[in-house]
Amino acid sequence: MKLTLRLAWRNLWRNRRRTLIVVMAMAMMMSFLIMYDSMILGFETAVYGNAIKLSGGNIQIRANGYADSYSPNPMLPMGNGLDVVQAAEAQPGVAVALRHANTGGLVTNHEGVFPVGIYGIEPEKEKPVNPVMQDEFLIAGRFLQIDDEDAIFIGKGLADAMGIGVGDRIPLSGKNTNEEMSKRTMTVIGVYDINLASLERQVVYISLKAAQDLYGLGDNITEVILFTEITGKENPIVEELNASLSGYEISTWKSAIPELSSTVEMKNAVMTGFSAVLLGIAAIGIFNILLMAIYERTKEIGLLGAIGLKPREITLLFLVEGIMIGFVGAVVGTVLGYLITSVLGIFGLNYGFAVDMIDYLALMGTHIYPAFDINLTLQRAGMVALISSIAALYPALEASRREPATALHHV
Amino acid sequence: MNYILKMSFRNLMRNKRRSVFSALAIAIGTALLLFMSATIRGEMRGSLDLTINLRTGHLQIHAEDYKDANMSLKRADMIEAPLDISNQIEEIPQVKAASPRLNISGILAFKNETIGVQIIGIDPPSAANAIYKDGMVSGEFLTSDDREGVLIGLPLAESLDLGPGDSIDLILNTSEGDTDEQRFTIRGVYTTNTPGYDKATIFMPLEKAQTISRTENHASMIYILLYEMDDTAAVKAAIHAPGYIIEDWEELNKLIILVEQLSNAMMFFFNLMVLGVTSTVIMNTLLMAVYERTREMGILGALGMKGKQIRSLFLTEATLLALGGVIVGLAIGVPLVLYYAQVGFFFGDLGISANSSFMLGNSIYPHPTVGDVISVSLAAFLITILSGYYPATQASKLEPVEALHSNN
Repeated sequence: MKLTLRLAWRNLWRNRRRTLIVVMAMAMMMSFLIMYDSMILGFETAVYGNAIKLSGGNIQIRANGYADSYSPNPMLPMGNGLDVVQAAEAQPGVAVALRHANTGGLVTNHEGVFPVGIYGIEPEKEKPVNPVMQDEFLIAGRFLQIDDEDAIFIGKGLADAMGIGVGDRIPLSGKNTNEEMSKRTMTVIGVYDINLASLERQVVYISLKAAQDLYGLGDNITEVILFTEITGKENPIVEELNASLSGYEISTWKSAIPELSSTVEMKNAVMTGFSAVLLGIAAIGIFNILLMAIYERTKEIGLLGAIGLKPREITLLFLVEGIMIGFVGAVVGTVLGYLITSVLGIFGLNYGFAVDMIDYLALMGTHIYPAFDINLTLQRAGMVALISSIAALYPALEASRREPATALHHV
Repeated sequence: MNYILKMSFRNLMRNKRRSVFSALAIAIGTALLLFMSATIRGEMRGSLDLTINLRTGHLQIHAEDYKDANMSLKRADMIEAPLDISNQIEEIPQVKAASPRLNISGILAFKNETIGVQIIGIDPPSAANAIYKDGMVSGEFLTSDDREGVLIGLPLAESLDLGPGDSIDLILNTSEGDTDEQRFTIRGVYTTNTPGYDKATIFMPLEKAQTISRTENHASMIYILLYEMDDTAAVKAAIHAPGYIIEDWEELNKLIILVEQLSNAMMFFFNLMVLGVTSTVIMNTLLMAVYERTREMGILGALGMKGKQIRSLFLTEATLLALGGVIVGLAIGVPLVLYYAQVGFFFGDLGISANSSFMLGNSIYPHPTVGDVISVSLAAFLITILSGYYPATQASKLEPVEALHSNN
């Protein structure tokens, strides 16, 4: 057996060019497969990532009882949330954990009554990651600051509907911990515009401290929102968090925005189905090339037979070679695929050329950042190695059964 | 040239299995590309069609300040004497139906359940309601003079165990800023096969809706369906409705169209990956073939064949493979796509909310276009020939004397 291994390894490198072509074919195909898979993951983040950030983040951690509550914005204190933030940010894949004190309420003026969600946020932490708080969307005033007390940050949609601007004062009522309405007059400190009027009308931002004071929360917050690095891979994070945190309800955007989730899932089901076909094409290619590589050596097989190797031993030798080359191809392919995906993951693929969407900049990016999935890649690598073993077995069996004399005369 | 064609054809025939496998890779690649583009196109088109039929129509007329998301009932945001306008519009030949609609937000109360719903006042005889009329599951469709009848969707009826004849309470907003509650009788149950929409949309006759919301002789919008989507611009120009604004489906469905553009842009990259795999198969197979036949090349060279001719020999082989592969690919792909375009992939209830601007039915119907077939075939064809270029160049560079001495 040891001899067979040594022979096989040596055979592999005896004809370097041939082996290189086979390995190159496997590696290139694997890279394409890996890029395809990683683009499916990146697709969700590119198209829906910001929409998810705007409508409640990838993962929400709240006090028990939230899901069973009838109210869309129940006031359930969950402690100061610092331990939750720490636990969440320790998880790989979590980009940031944000503390919110949210409640439902109203803003009123002579134009009418406008129901809004009131988000109490930590300005310094929210600013870099919240899509609406990017400099390019600020059309007037400034962003919230940590010690702002009666300042409110609103969207253009609401400002237009109410006919107000920076510096104007509006009464804000919100449900407090006793299920009663607390009222306070706030000054508009800044206005953002992401060109989604209906969304802008639904949410106002105040500082966490102001929210806690207004609603009698003390040190408490009502939710911790997590943004993950990759959209669509929340489940493992949720499992980890469920194990390390107790007494909280953890949900993902999939339950919060089912219509988006179903769209994404449908698209993924379709694209994954297609990737199976793509794997089939790669399999045919690898099979074909390996068959060529072995039939090319019919004469050599005859020679081995002539010097006394049994058909079984010849088959074994070629099978081992097939496994080895498959292994080498899979390793090179994985490394190559990883490198390409990582580079693309840093720079992103620009698809902005085809889309005229300046209007929805906050909602959708112009780049797709492929994301590498190690498990899927290992599956692909396994398939490549398996195909190459099968591809090696078939011609080796056939060739080893030939009469050495005829095989030797093969041209 | 003729003999090069003959030689390359013979070369392919000499190793039938290899040629068949290579062509098969191209064929499956072509079929996959075709299927992918048709499916994505079909998905987007399906959701656009559905949204047009259920919510936006091909064209809408409404007051300048009306916003669908608000369901405002202020007089200033509404259309006065809507039936006069819609009857006028229906005289335009390309218009299939024009019908006033009144949107009211409200709450359905039944036993202990309270569910937020949108109530749409419709003009029952109008052809614009065909999608709901065709989808009646049980009971009767509404009549114009019905004062207490409503239609509810199948999922709502199932979850509350309601049927024709049962009573429900509806709490509706009125134009005066307060609410009104009234008991209604379910006349019938409809389905549009869009669970999210059906779950939260209740229909009642326009007149009754106007009475209860105190918006007599007003409507939120006039909903217009055309026979052909392509006539939209012409009809839009032909409509005369001073004081109101006319929006077409492109303006009403900006987000869907945006996502469609986005999907198309991204499909470009997915297509590249498929072409990449196919081209790898071809390139490496041909490269292997070149080295396998080194001695043969040497003989050809020694007989006086020039490098350029050897290169065109291999390129011709690649072209023949591409031709065969693409033809077989189309032979597999086109019937398959056409079949699924009829049957559709079934996905089941995906739980999409009624107010979402992005609606999907429970099936995807791939939508192949001639343009897709041509561009996909062309791409597969060109990529294959391009992949043959490197191996062909390698072959043309071989020195006859060295090649003759090669082991292969």
